[in-house]
Amino acid sequence: MKDRVLAAVVAVVAIAYLYSDWRIPRLELGDPLGPRAFPALVGIMLLISAVLLMLETRRGRQAPIATAERSGPSHVPVLAGILVWTIAYYAVFEAAGYIIATIVYLFGLLCVFHKGRHKSNALIAAGFTAAAYGVFSQLLNVQLPLGPLSF
Amino acid sequence: MDSLHGIAHGLAIAAMPTHLLYTLVGVFTGTMISHLPGIGPSAGIALLIPATFGMDPSAALMMLAGIYYGCMYGGAVTAILLNTPGDAAAVMTVLDGYPMARKGRAGAALAIAAVSSFIAGTLGVSALAFVAVPLSELALKFGPAEYFTLILFALTTVSALTGESIAKGMMATCIGLAISTVGLDLQSGTARFTLGLSELQDRVNFLVVAVGMFALSEVSRMVEGTREGTMHAVRVQGRLWFTREEWRRAWPAILRGGSVGFFCGAAPGLGGTISAMLSYILEKKVSRRPHEFGHGAIEGVAAPEAATNADTCGAFVHLLALGIPGSGSTAVIMGAFIMYGIQPGPMLFQSQPDLVWGLIASMYVGNVLLLVLNLPLVGLFARILYVPPGVLLVLILGIAAAGIYSFDTQVFDLYLALAFGVAGYAFRKLDIPRGPLIFGVILGGLLEQSFRQAMTISSGSPLIFVGSPIAVFLLLCSVVSVGASLWAKRRPATKMLLTGG
Repeated sequence: MKDRVLAAVVAVVAIAYLYSDWRIPRLELGDPLGPRAFPALVGIMLLISAVLLMLETRRGRQAPIATAERSGPSHVPVLAGILVWTIAYYAVFEAAGYIIATIVYLFGLLCVFHKGRHKSNALIAAGFTAAAYGVFSQLLNVQLPLGPLSF
Repeated sequence: MDSLHGIAHGLAIAAMPTHLLYTLVGVFTGTMISHLPGIGPSAGIALLIPATFGMDPSAALMMLAGIYYGCMYGGAVTAILLNTPGDAAAVMTVLDGYPMARKGRAGAALAIAAVSSFIAGTLGVSALAFVAVPLSELALKFGPAEYFTLILFALTTVSALTGESIAKGMMATCIGLAISTVGLDLQSGTARFTLGLSELQDRVNFLVVAVGMFALSEVSRMVEGTREGTMHAVRVQGRLWFTREEWRRAWPAILRGGSVGFFCGAAPGLGGTISAMLSYILEKKVSRRPHEFGHGAIEGVAAPEAATNADTCGAFVHLLALGIPGSGSTAVIMGAFIMYGIQPGPMLFQSQPDLVWGLIASMYVGNVLLLVLNLPLVGLFARILYVPPGVLLVLILGIAAAGIYSFDTQVFDLYLALAFGVAGYAFRKLDIPRGPLIFGVILGGLLEQSFRQAMTISSGSPLIFVGSPIAVFLLLCSVVSVGASLWAKRRPATKMLLTGG
């Protein structure tokens, strides 16, 4: 069932990809194929792979559930929480600056995955952030945003 | 420059203090990464590529290669002490390594793993040095049509041999190829599949894909492991060495495993996991004590460890000689080459002899460093296992954010990597292999370029792809790889081998 849904989703994606390709303006400029030919081949192969998966599923050759990695239902809310927390971190990454945003982000995660050790969690979050900032900003000359700390 | 002169020249370059330092940093980091369950060499290399920005490309590549084989070297430690392979290739080491540790022979298992890796790694580098030159000379005769068929062969083999389902392998490759078409078309300047986003005009950076698909998605595996409480390490007790009897049993296994590993590495798509499995099966077949396998046979540790380390050398053969990666990790390293403005392939031996021979020779140096580091420091490295996994996974998220942002200093890349992380999680849950996708992303540009050049030469006739014996041979190889995979997957024993089941 899982693989049939996957095949259907990939088929839809392949058709959307082929449609987008078809809308690309043809500019050949000495190139007999232009920018549309290669993506068209890729889209067709993607569509074929979806059909093949559907055929494999019908022949009962799909992965037995026992070999597929299963996520216990309790993990999904935790992973969703990490996802939302990470999006929030990226959203304030430039405004709050790397140092403030990363310390808060890491401390929040550590409170969940390294429970009950607030003092050491705070030290880990601050220490890691300072080290990462030092390496990237000072050694590698990468401009990490400082936010309100840019004085 | 012939191979012997090349090695001698390369050793002089690799022995320069800066290069020695970066090789040491690479192998040390690789060993540490291998001790983090769930984070494999591809994720480790992708996470650390930003740390090489601004470095001399030779030193950077020596470091990244060091991370790769350092990771393979150290993958055995978690397999032996934690019953969890540090990377997928160490999956067979678990079978006998963990039972040895449970019997109080963890020290012997760790020592034989280190010695096997050293011997096979050193022999593998020698084989690499002698095979790569003639192969690159042959590849110099390739035109666009031959290159197209060569890349097609690599992609077909990877699609067919990775994972359980050929359809899913093909799907992952095509998704990777589709990602490679996003951005401005280099020949016409037309924007393709950018969804109106200016950030996508410059193409999707492979680093964003690699960190998302490998590192961020692996965090989800670590979350599962942390919350299920499955990570409990056996403590190392007793002497860190093996007995004379154990060595007598292990050395033939090392030589056989090393040979199997090198040939598997040199075949695109087979990878370390399959070479470890093949060497384990071979060892069990030839052993006079097959009943001991799975209960702590030292050959069951020596052979797969030798195979995975020789496999890394084999994987470098076609990366350096042909410009085609042989595994997910070498695909990421190839991405790094391209980022530094260096195109790996047959011209590399002529245009950048210092870089290529220095890199090969640094693997000799790295193997010695790994042996020197690993044996006395194995207890110290093993302490990483006792660091709470919850802390490690949080730090990986922190490193990933700084690394991705540092590439182009735009927050858009962070969101994109997160999206690839979610996709990687879905791939894992749906049993879609991630390696072929990275192959597609890395090789997509080259494949399209050679396709269009060949079609321009032939004025639009596709017959050019069957116009030379080399192209026909490579197309036949592609057909054979798919046929062999279809045949193998119908047989339960080989199906298990190919799927890692």
